[in-house]
Amino acid sequence: MTTLLSRSPMLFTLGDVLSSPLPSIFRSFSARSFPTRTAYLLGIGSNGRAIARQTGGVKLAQPISQWIIFMARKMLVDGVLDKVGEETKQYDFDLFVIGAGSGGVRASRTSAAFGAKVAICELPFHPISSEVIGGVGGTCVIRGCVPKKILVYGSEFRGEFEDSRNFGWEIDGKINFNWKKLLHNKTQEITRLNGIYMRLLSNAGVTMIEGEGKLIDAHTVEITEPDGTTKKHSAKHILIATGSRAQRANIPGKELAITSDEALSLEELPKRVVILGAGYIALEFASIWQGMGAEVDVFYRKELPLRGFDDEMRAVVAKNLEGRGIRLHPGTNLTELRKSEDGISVLTDHGDEFTADVVLFATGRVPNTKRLNLQSVGVELDNAGAIKVDEYSCTSVPNIWAVGDVTNRMNLTPVALMEGTCFSKTVFGGQPTKPDYADIPCAVFWLFAVVSDVISWNSLVPHLPVPVHTLFLVAVLKHHFGLPPLSIVGLSEQQALEQAKNDILVYTSSFNPMKNTISGRQEKTVMKLVVDSETDKVLGASMCGPDAPEIMQGIAVALKCGATKAQFDSTVGIHPSAAEEFVTMRTLTRRVAAGTKPKTNL
Amino acid sequence: MAAALSLRAPPPALASAVALRTFSTTLLSIPLKPLFASSSRALRSSPFPPFLSLLPSRRLAVRACADGGNGASFSRQFDFDLFTIGAGSGGVRASRFAATYGAKVAICELPFSTISSENAGGVGGTCVLRGCVPKKLFVYASQYSHDFEESHGFGWAYESEPKHDWSTLIANKNAELQRLTGIYKNILQNAGVTLIEGRGKIVDPHTVEVDGKLYTARHILISVGGRPNLPEIPGIEYAIDSDAALDLPSKPEKIAIVGGGYIALEFAGIFNGLKSEVHVFIRQKKVLRGFDEEIRDFVSEQMSLRGIEFHVEETPQAIVKSTDGLLSLRTNKGTIDGFSHIMFATGRRPNTKNLGLENVGVDLAENGAILVDEYSQTSVDSIWAVGDVTDRLNLTPVALMEGGAFAKTVFLNEPTKPNFTAVPSAVFCQPPIGQVGLTEEQAIQEYGDVDIYTTNFRPLKATLSGLPDRVFMKLIVCANTNKVLGAHMCGDDAPEIIQGIGIAIKAGLTKWDFDSTVGIHPTSSEEFVTMRNPTRKIRKDSASVVEMSGDKIKSAG
Repeated sequence: MTTLLSRSPMLFTLGDVLSSPLPSIFRSFSARSFPTRTAYLLGIGSNGRAIARQTGGVKLAQPISQWIIFMARKMLVDGVLDKVGEETKQYDFDLFVIGAGSGGVRASRTSAAFGAKVAICELPFHPISSEVIGGVGGTCVIRGCVPKKILVYGSEFRGEFEDSRNFGWEIDGKINFNWKKLLHNKTQEITRLNGIYMRLLSNAGVTMIEGEGKLIDAHTVEITEPDGTTKKHSAKHILIATGSRAQRANIPGKELAITSDEALSLEELPKRVVILGAGYIALEFASIWQGMGAEVDVFYRKELPLRGFDDEMRAVVAKNLEGRGIRLHPGTNLTELRKSEDGISVLTDHGDEFTADVVLFATGRVPNTKRLNLQSVGVELDNAGAIKVDEYSCTSVPNIWAVGDVTNRMNLTPVALMEGTCFSKTVFGGQPTKPDYADIPCAVFWLFAVVSDVISWNSLVPHLPVPVHTLFLVAVLKHHFGLPPLSIVGLSEQQALEQAKNDILVYTSSFNPMKNTISGRQEKTVMKLVVDSETDKVLGASMCGPDAPEIMQGIAVALKCGATKAQFDSTVGIHPSAAEEFVTMRTLTRRVAAGTKPKTNL
Repeated sequence: MAAALSLRAPPPALASAVALRTFSTTLLSIPLKPLFASSSRALRSSPFPPFLSLLPSRRLAVRACADGGNGASFSRQFDFDLFTIGAGSGGVRASRFAATYGAKVAICELPFSTISSENAGGVGGTCVLRGCVPKKLFVYASQYSHDFEESHGFGWAYESEPKHDWSTLIANKNAELQRLTGIYKNILQNAGVTLIEGRGKIVDPHTVEVDGKLYTARHILISVGGRPNLPEIPGIEYAIDSDAALDLPSKPEKIAIVGGGYIALEFAGIFNGLKSEVHVFIRQKKVLRGFDEEIRDFVSEQMSLRGIEFHVEETPQAIVKSTDGLLSLRTNKGTIDGFSHIMFATGRRPNTKNLGLENVGVDLAENGAILVDEYSQTSVDSIWAVGDVTDRLNLTPVALMEGGAFAKTVFLNEPTKPNFTAVPSAVFCQPPIGQVGLTEEQAIQEYGDVDIYTTNFRPLKATLSGLPDRVFMKLIVCANTNKVLGAHMCGDDAPEIIQGIGIAIKAGLTKWDFDSTVGIHPTSSEEFVTMRNPTRKIRKDSASVVEMSGDKIKSAG
């Protein structure tokens, strides 16, 4: 019971089972196997283990777990698979998943919890990905969110030391930063997480296969193991969750540049860094390196960084980055990289030349679809190489599905998790029909959209199985861990103006965080609410300042369900906090008439 | 005062009574931005038809309501429409809003001092000068030692251990307080409020005396707050209270903190972070009475891990000063020696002594708090009270809410009750607590059938720092309606995280709503929207508590 349970497994408890339409086996089981009335079977952990406790607290566990997996499977086979009526062909697995990142692991585990016999394949583990290297855990755990946040934490301490002085702290002598130690500890942590993910899978009864997966036909996956041997596996359903990889801009000398993968595992801390791109990945690395003492130059095409975000907040971010000493070069592209005596020589389209130890290309990511043999099986791709899927994540081949970044819908970990869960509910959870979806409130249907530099709002709409007019109610999350972080939910002012029928009310608050009054740091926190003047609904919220991502989560819950400005106002503040500003913005900053052109288009 | 025309009548009656009494021929051309009361005072005149009371006139409302507020004073001239005693959070808010609505307002406050007394206070009040603000600045200062410890796991090292200089902190803190008290004075001045320095005392229902000078007012607002309360035990003169603890001349080497409430825990965290040896003495078995039981257990465990020593079920009986100048604390269980400081955080008491309340018949509760109705009106119709002096929910934002509601009720003709449901609050101990809504115990009592969702995990930062920090979160859900009744958290950033959750709970959202929100990854707060399975289900018709699942790990797919 204390073993590793994921925090969000697709579990079903006895109560759920008893009230579900398929419970006969379970019901008879619980009655037969627990003769005394004081014992309760309580549920199935994500590890497939039954968790039970008598009223007195006696735990029943391990022996039941295998049985539970068996029974769950029997239920599925009896109740779902047989119903299809075409099950003359026997497959090795009910589900074969290619790629064990966030989406693939979630889908495997939740499908197994529904009783499916599941296999998952993944490339061997390594911090830097390639065609033949990956690792259970995927981008988020090994090359994305997690290591990035660890490095952000590491880089934030420098600012903390500076701030601590006016609070009375003195550090005599030198402050040393050991990059190798941070790197080592980071690698240790992601290795640990990689292990946890593997245990999660095996505890859920999922068969793990190391190697590169490739489609042979609609029901067959061929695995090339690390030693070169190949093996074929058949499956009723195949799920592709291979994610995406960072892409290099195509300019002469591009091989001298690195991508975010390598950036998270650099052997030496660079002294001079050039970054191409100003999306959130670019800015996160800019702040990490700057925090660790490097000189950072960021080059991008637009006037402001973070295209797609609220313009006002973009300007705040640009100001903060410059305030920390990061040099921004808007409207500038790189034309060539050359090896020079003391590093890499970087040429710009303005004719300038810079020298750097490291050049990072953060110009976008491409879906990992090249080596999967998708076309020959008939799985359609879009122009960007992403797998085309319908609103249930089904590809153009009815038994082949895809979730996560490989579908390039909205490339965020929690979204891949959500897609994975929805997939297993659809395919193995006995809730595959459309009408059911329409009637179930937001709880089952977790829909979100982000307008980022990769996807435009309109391209997103076809993916959403809800009428367009409800998009206003859909919470949109995007986060960014820079220094200080920016976090947004819902629409930017510009998006609101493009879409709303009514006038837009904008409330902003810009203040010096309390900590800065003593530390003397010159960084204002900026908050913003965008409100529909007729309905009073809060359409969007954004914040740039310390703790913004943590603050925004609760705001997102409120926005998701259509909270009004009046409801914000009626909430009492927590004093003294930064977040209380969100519920004390009483004075309107401006009213923008409906249909007005966004004031800037940067 | 004529009881027949009292404002104690329900709000609608108030509005119509008002409507019958006053009229202004200029009301249709009244500008949106109200003028100060001095100009509007000329507008009093003849009766007018009731329907006109619905017209959107603020100035009319001011006059009408002020008159309606007290029939007997209808024809009297006053120096002010409102006289506020005490310029803390509630008093400043009420005065400022009243002035904005057109009232002529005066406010009195004692001279500035970091330590409060009968004769010292300062514009800004407890929150700004002796509470929230200086406390949080100290919390910031003390957190750095934890940051330094954390930083080792992230590759940072120091040639010598970071040291803390107490006087730098105190000097910078006091400079900031001076700045803030100045800001508050400016706010009052800009709103047109007359600021009078001195001790206010009520002479009659419409008269306040400040340093021998008499001021008359249509309404009097008491917002004098509360002060720390120390028990009468031998040697108590050696003890300090929270006022003094925020302004000590030197760092305590070893400090005893008596009390298990939030003030005690906040100071325990502060002094522990600033490298004092900290002992906390509590009368009961657990800290933070009234908080969720699991939070109470979790926070004391985490604080113990950071080096604070808790002495439970120990009641202090005496303080003895030894020849070396150090203090000993004698309790029912024994004596502990060697304290440089002993701080009592054993509660606060409303500042209602020597206010002249007894002269006019304002009813007090047993603990000295002013009794008020839902509109903050006391037993005397022209006298009102907001904030800690009423001992309702002693939080700055609540005082602000009460002050704002008072001003609306009396000077905007919009009878407004402060709403005390789902008020979020925080304890800035280390790690901090944020909470909103009901505790598990309250929820069971009120709703019977509740589902409890908890998570207890090691945050990402701790996996690298190697420190034993953990985070605990809890959602309490009504089993019948699926409404989230309460949210509790102990861990880094809990106060900031709970604010947004507070909006959701105030809006009456369900667990389904939480589940349908996508997480922000990787944060701690995303746990609040990814708690899929109840830890236990509590049903009133069965004695059994059903345990659902065990521990969890962070950042698992």
